[in-house]
Amino acid sequence: MLRRAVLQLALCGAAPALAAPVGLTVLDAAGQPLADAVVAVYVAGAPAQAPAGATAELAQRQKTFVPGVLAVQTGTAVQFPNFDTVRHHVYSFSPTKVFEIKLYAGTPAAPVVFDKPGTAVLGCNIHDRMQAFIRVVDTPHFARTDAAGRATIDLPPGTHPAQVWHASLGIGAAPPSQPLATAGGAATLTLKQP
Amino acid sequence: MSELFSPRRLQFRIIAFFLGLLLLVQVASLLLIGHSIGVNARAAVNTELRTGERVFARLLQTNATSLTDAARVLAQDYGFRSAVATKDAATLRSALENHGERIGATLAIFADGAFELQAATRDGAERFLPTLGRMVNMVDSAQKVALLDGDVYQLVVVPVRAPVLIGWVAMGFRIEESLLREMRQLSSIEVALLTRGTESPDWALKRSTLGSAVADTLLADWRAARSAVRAPADGVSEANLLMDLPAGLGSPLAGEVLAREMLLGRDGDQQAVAVLMRSLDEARAPYRRLQEMLLGFTVAAIVVFAIGSVFTARRITTPLRSLTRSARKLGAGDYTEPLPAQGSDEIGELAHAFEAMREAVQERDEKVRRLAYEDDLTKLPNREQFRTDLRDAIVVAREQRQPCAVLMLDLDRFKHVNDVLGHRFGDRLLRQVALRLQREAGRSNDRVARLGGDEFALLLPGADADVAQAVARRILLGFEQPITLDDHTVDLGAGIGIAVCPDHGLDADALMGHTEIAMYAAKRGQLGVVVYDTALDSGSEASLSLLSELRRAVEQEQLRLYLQPKISLGTGEVVGAEALVRWQHPQRGLVPPLKFIPFAEQTGFIRELTGWMIERSAHVLHQLHVAGLPLKLSVNLSTRDLLDQDLPVKLQRLVGTHRIDPGKLCLEITESAIMDDPQRALQTLERLHTMGFRLSIDDFGTGYSSLAYLKRLPVDELKIDQSFVKNMERDLDDAKIVRSTVDLAHNLGLSVVAEGVETAKAWKMLRALRCDEVQGYFVAKPMPEALFAAWAAEWAPPAINEVQLDSGFATLV
Repeated sequence: MLRRAVLQLALCGAAPALAAPVGLTVLDAAGQPLADAVVAVYVAGAPAQAPAGATAELAQRQKTFVPGVLAVQTGTAVQFPNFDTVRHHVYSFSPTKVFEIKLYAGTPAAPVVFDKPGTAVLGCNIHDRMQAFIRVVDTPHFARTDAAGRATIDLPPGTHPAQVWHASLGIGAAPPSQPLATAGGAATLTLKQP
Repeated sequence: MSELFSPRRLQFRIIAFFLGLLLLVQVASLLLIGHSIGVNARAAVNTELRTGERVFARLLQTNATSLTDAARVLAQDYGFRSAVATKDAATLRSALENHGERIGATLAIFADGAFELQAATRDGAERFLPTLGRMVNMVDSAQKVALLDGDVYQLVVVPVRAPVLIGWVAMGFRIEESLLREMRQLSSIEVALLTRGTESPDWALKRSTLGSAVADTLLADWRAARSAVRAPADGVSEANLLMDLPAGLGSPLAGEVLAREMLLGRDGDQQAVAVLMRSLDEARAPYRRLQEMLLGFTVAAIVVFAIGSVFTARRITTPLRSLTRSARKLGAGDYTEPLPAQGSDEIGELAHAFEAMREAVQERDEKVRRLAYEDDLTKLPNREQFRTDLRDAIVVAREQRQPCAVLMLDLDRFKHVNDVLGHRFGDRLLRQVALRLQREAGRSNDRVARLGGDEFALLLPGADADVAQAVARRILLGFEQPITLDDHTVDLGAGIGIAVCPDHGLDADALMGHTEIAMYAAKRGQLGVVVYDTALDSGSEASLSLLSELRRAVEQEQLRLYLQPKISLGTGEVVGAEALVRWQHPQRGLVPPLKFIPFAEQTGFIRELTGWMIERSAHVLHQLHVAGLPLKLSVNLSTRDLLDQDLPVKLQRLVGTHRIDPGKLCLEITESAIMDDPQRALQTLERLHTMGFRLSIDDFGTGYSSLAYLKRLPVDELKIDQSFVKNMERDLDDAKIVRSTVDLAHNLGLSVVAEGVETAKAWKMLRALRCDEVQGYFVAKPMPEALFAAWAAEWAPPAINEVQLDSGFATLV
């Protein structure tokens, strides 16, 4: 889905320079690779809003949100398909997006559009253990680290401001910005407290 | 009865001792039980209080858990979380109030994740926030007892998640009386809640299960009890407190109470304490019933014991009292009643011993009585009894105007029988004599008594002097038959005195005294039987006149000296004479010697008579010497003379005065006179012997003098008693005695004189037996001194060749 979004970006906007993939490693404060961190790189000139029709999906499988952390560009409509046999009651009291989808099965008819940047924490009113985060960013350049704390983003060469977010930072203030140099096709970022 | 329970009685002491002992044991055990009940009750209450503390903690825990659950339900309520999400304070507060009411919370607070107060159901709740902050550090839910505004709350805190933590809900529940009552229901322990705070540092009673009426007292008591155990002012007392709550305040607790403090919560200066209380009295109550039962049992035991010991004491003391009564009777001299039998225990044995003693005492008493009035040896009445009998007899005699005679008898030579043959033999002899006397006093009312020693008495009621003399002679006749005991044949002789009532006395003592005088007269004079005569009695009027007459006789020369010649059997010549006294009374004529000699001996006048005799004999000796008759004269000395210390001096003087040869004067002493006081007699005799006097033993053979003693006597001559001489013609035994005596005397170097020679036959026999001299009627009767010289000149020995001796004597010779 991310790849499709990147593809859409590439199709819709003329890039000032040729973009190249940059390998990123995210470390926590202790210097350990950090999984499920969301890196957003703000490239000058890139659109803040996702193009209309951009969608994403946060499924519920075996009473778990999959994935646990979802990063989307602002304006993306997110579907919450329920693959379980039981019903769920998905809600969010986060200021970024307050919504609830009362007891449903299958895929709800209307997706939820995340029209403000920030973080929303999602829960299920039926199952207290179910928890997921949706990180909404105003840039099309973002990625989520894998289990080894790595991610790859296509970036034009140069140095761009970047934000690293992780669930441990909560849903409050935005994390501080840090510069990301694309030279060498690889960079390391560290999670910083706001 | 009251005497029976006097403290000195054995019965009382037995009862008191056993009851005292029982009481002591019971009181000790009651005290011990009481003490251990106290200790046990206290220990039990202590345990209960410790358990109560755990129960109360558990109760609070349970309460908190249910509160936590309730709070958690609230925190997870979607609506509540929705309200939180609105961030509208008013909505939030109303939601808190709504949900707080739902679970009965006194206080509800919502704070965000950073413990900023978002809403509360009451003002001032921000004061809880630091407490809450501390609480939530522990777990995702926490509970605590907290103080607020001086009151005690159980506080629970739970997180609110949506789904991440978005804040905290805290709910406070005041600890109400209902919880305390629940505690009481669970554990029977009363609880009081006390607090102190910053504003009021003194402890205040918040609430308790005891009701408000007792609050002040409770607080005051608690403070006092705390200070008693020195509990820290800002902490709880480790030790349990002993309180004493007054009754009558409507409190379920009264009396002694043990209390335990339990710290519920502490927040700076604020403190909350639960005081758990349990009544000691209540804990003791079940024991108390046990104690009462024990007390009842004790009282019952004492009653049973009292009855038992009274019964036991009675069993001991009743027989003792009956023994005491019997002993008193014995003491009073009543031995007749046998003691009741008492069984076979120790008291029974005592009673048996008592009974044996009673019998022994009774027996001895009878014996003593018998001894008092009866002679133990002969079983005859004794002197006392005889005197009594005599008194009675005198009374009867005077009533019936009849005479009544008393005989008194003294055996001759009894002392020597005793000495020679032994006392046992003597006793048996006395018994034989008693039998003989009883035989002689044959009449039914005659009485024989032993007065003592060898002295007997007979009482002959109705007998006059003649009858009495007849009896006396019969007795003496009986004595002529010798008594044979154990191969010993004893010739008995006796002197018998007689006195007759009323002639010789009107009362028993006088009569017995006179009989005794008569008896002594009979013995002295060898007279056999003597009837009392006043002349015999030196104390009587007649005696006094006789004595003065005798004196006059000496002074007026009424006495005459008579001489009885002694012939030598060898030569047939006159060799001497025995001097005898006769009294030529101017009125009464010639008085025989028996009429005054015994009297003179009795009164001591005999010394003067003897003096006169010797004087006169010396005179006659001198005359005979001048006339060419160198004869010797014999003079009798009485016992009194022999005991007279002056006798040798007197004799010495006479010898000098009359210039005579003391060897011509022979002093004759009877065996009995010597035996009266052998020691003194021997001394006197030795002196006389030294002075040169010739000494002769008169009446030899009648006095039982021992040969050993005879050998020691410094005598020159033996005079064989005339009874042997008179009898020897008929009795071979007497002849043998005479022969032995002659042989004996010769062997001892003594000459032998036989008196009482009345026949030619006797003369011849005596000459044949080689007797030295003879004296008697066959030769000549005693003659006045004046006639003697002439008689001696004419004397020629008799012709005796025709006299034939029996063959027996012939062989004897």
